[in-house]
Amino acid sequence: MNDAPRKLNLDQWDARYEKLRRGGLREPAYGGPLRRHVEREQDFRLLQLQFDNSPAALRLWNFLLTENQRLRQARADGFKIVGAMKDLGTVPVMAYSLPGLRAFYPDGAWWTPCLMECSDRLLQQAEAMGIDASFCPVRAMLAAFENGEHFPRPDLLICSAGAICDDFSAIAQRLEHLGHPILWWEIPRRRHPDSDEIACPLPGGLSAPKIQVDCVRAELRRVAGALGELAGKTLDNDTLSAGIRAANQIRRRLDALRRAVYGAPASPLPALEMLVAEMLALHFCSDREETAAVLDALLEEVLSRLRRHRFIDTTAAARIFWVNPVADLRAMNLLEEAGGRVCGSDYMFTHALDLIPEDMPPLEALARAALADPMVGPTADRAGRIVRQCRAGRAEGLVVSRIPGASHCAREGEIILDVVRREIGIPAIEIEIPALSDPMRPGLATRLRALVETAQAGRAA
Amino acid sequence: MICAGLDAGSRSIKALLFDTSRGQIVASALAAQGVEQERLAAGLFEKLLREAGLARRQISGVVATGYGRSAIRFADTTVTEITCHARGVHRLKPEARTIIEIGGQDSKVIVLEDGGRVRDFAMNDRCAAGTGRFLEMVAERLDMNWEKLAELARQSKNPSLVSSTCVVFAETEIIGLLAQGRPLPDVVAGVQNAIAARVAALAGRFIAPPVYFTGGVALLSGMARALEEALSCPIAVAPHPQFTGALGAALSASHVG
Repeated sequence: MNDAPRKLNLDQWDARYEKLRRGGLREPAYGGPLRRHVEREQDFRLLQLQFDNSPAALRLWNFLLTENQRLRQARADGFKIVGAMKDLGTVPVMAYSLPGLRAFYPDGAWWTPCLMECSDRLLQQAEAMGIDASFCPVRAMLAAFENGEHFPRPDLLICSAGAICDDFSAIAQRLEHLGHPILWWEIPRRRHPDSDEIACPLPGGLSAPKIQVDCVRAELRRVAGALGELAGKTLDNDTLSAGIRAANQIRRRLDALRRAVYGAPASPLPALEMLVAEMLALHFCSDREETAAVLDALLEEVLSRLRRHRFIDTTAAARIFWVNPVADLRAMNLLEEAGGRVCGSDYMFTHALDLIPEDMPPLEALARAALADPMVGPTADRAGRIVRQCRAGRAEGLVVSRIPGASHCAREGEIILDVVRREIGIPAIEIEIPALSDPMRPGLATRLRALVETAQAGRAA
Repeated sequence: MICAGLDAGSRSIKALLFDTSRGQIVASALAAQGVEQERLAAGLFEKLLREAGLARRQISGVVATGYGRSAIRFADTTVTEITCHARGVHRLKPEARTIIEIGGQDSKVIVLEDGGRVRDFAMNDRCAAGTGRFLEMVAERLDMNWEKLAELARQSKNPSLVSSTCVVFAETEIIGLLAQGRPLPDVVAGVQNAIAARVAALAGRFIAPPVYFTGGVALLSGMARALEEALSCPIAVAPHPQFTGALGAALSASHVG
């Protein structure tokens, strides 16, 4: 716990793990050395990554990388498995409100080709199923459903429709055609209320017309019915309210972690671990209670480092705001190698970090939270929030990371860059990061390093 | 104080010695890029020292830049080509507010503040369209050198439209245009315009005058004019356009040496 923060490669973690184990490291059931994920699961990408050296980070990684095994164990233990698709942070809150359900995002399989360095052949299999490289890497999910080698097939599959990316919609429709029934629920494209409409405030400082909130609430009522049927227990208001409070406890922990890390004079935790931690907001990595424990351990480590003024970089690191998750996790290391640090993030699910209102009927609250999704509304709304966060985080530069083939971000990067340059005047770049960015690494490194140099020169001026 | 800058580009390595006290370029040299970048860079550096009558110990600092900068381990440090081109052009043309650099493998638009600091930049390194590689492909296909290409482009009366945004497809398009009987000068001018259009798309709303053009492609007569038309603003070719990156690296070395 009191070791100096460092980034370690997998070989170094092997030695570190042995030392910690001899020192009496206590781990949860899913614990163990990181190396085993390479040997047993073929997560070869871990060999290329740099990890934080804390036991809390080890727990985070083990939690993330054992999700499929834990889901299979949950099924063996009698849990029903819910596959939530696309909504990012709404349906899992409902599912975890009910006993005996575990929810996960099959969409998360988009990271599998990166982790397994494409040895899984998921992308090739998806192509053989008619979904080629012109689609988002989330197409890996389609092949994972078919080969059954990754996550267990869900007992209930729920997917949002309407204001979602074209390619995700096409992939999900193909999935249903292949014999995986989907419960669709519609989310309309969020718009600003007309002057003669009743406006409903949404989390994140947004608003939508009441008619849209009513529509989503009715759709979520349908979803609640299906989840209740699966669980054998009605998802009533009290049950759902308790689930929302529990979800908010996770969101509060993440908020505290983000404030502590991004607000610090230098980074007490690497960008890669922060990306993984933020992802826990979506479906609690299939275990809500354990997510709380994982985040508590991370926060404790971060606060301890801050008290001791121990960081993984220095105050010289350029403060970079990062937009969108990366298909290749190595990219987050690359920024730090270039002399930057993440001082704020918008990984496309900022609505899942905002608290769900607790002072209104729970379905109404969830409907409002769902409508605050940055991907269902105008990019200008998202850009506005990014500008506010950049200011709050004293960002000196901005990276928009584009996902190859993803239709939702075909143009939004350009809009975000324009707004950020106009409003704040900080240097901003857009980069494209495929599942394996190795061939592009020199170019990526140059761009990130040039951004850092430009940001640091701005500081000197 | 004499500092050295080495710019390891994708097509060539450039080396330059700069005397900071006199504010003068002492010597410069260029060699074709190869597999053993560090050996090539070291050989070029030694040659430069010999020509300038200097010993290695008289060099206060060495900075490497360019695509292959990390391979040059004898450099004191590395700085990206964005920063180096900005420093180099600012030294030569302090009034510059935008730099367009078209190299062998990428193109860049760099916007400068007063004082030459980089305010922002855009870079295309994903595709060969909009880079010198496009011109090389055309030169190879037509079995002629760049000078001849430039001479042909100057003769064009009605440049062809080369619409492909991919070099591989553009090659097919060029063959098709020639097969249709389009005059060679018009096809070559069309290629220059296609590169300029790609750079203009990259520049977006970045451009602020005065604009200076640098990089190896700037030496190609007619490219600056094609850029002027695509961007609707005057473009001047920077002095020593192939060496502005190396000059910027040498200037950077004066801070680290």
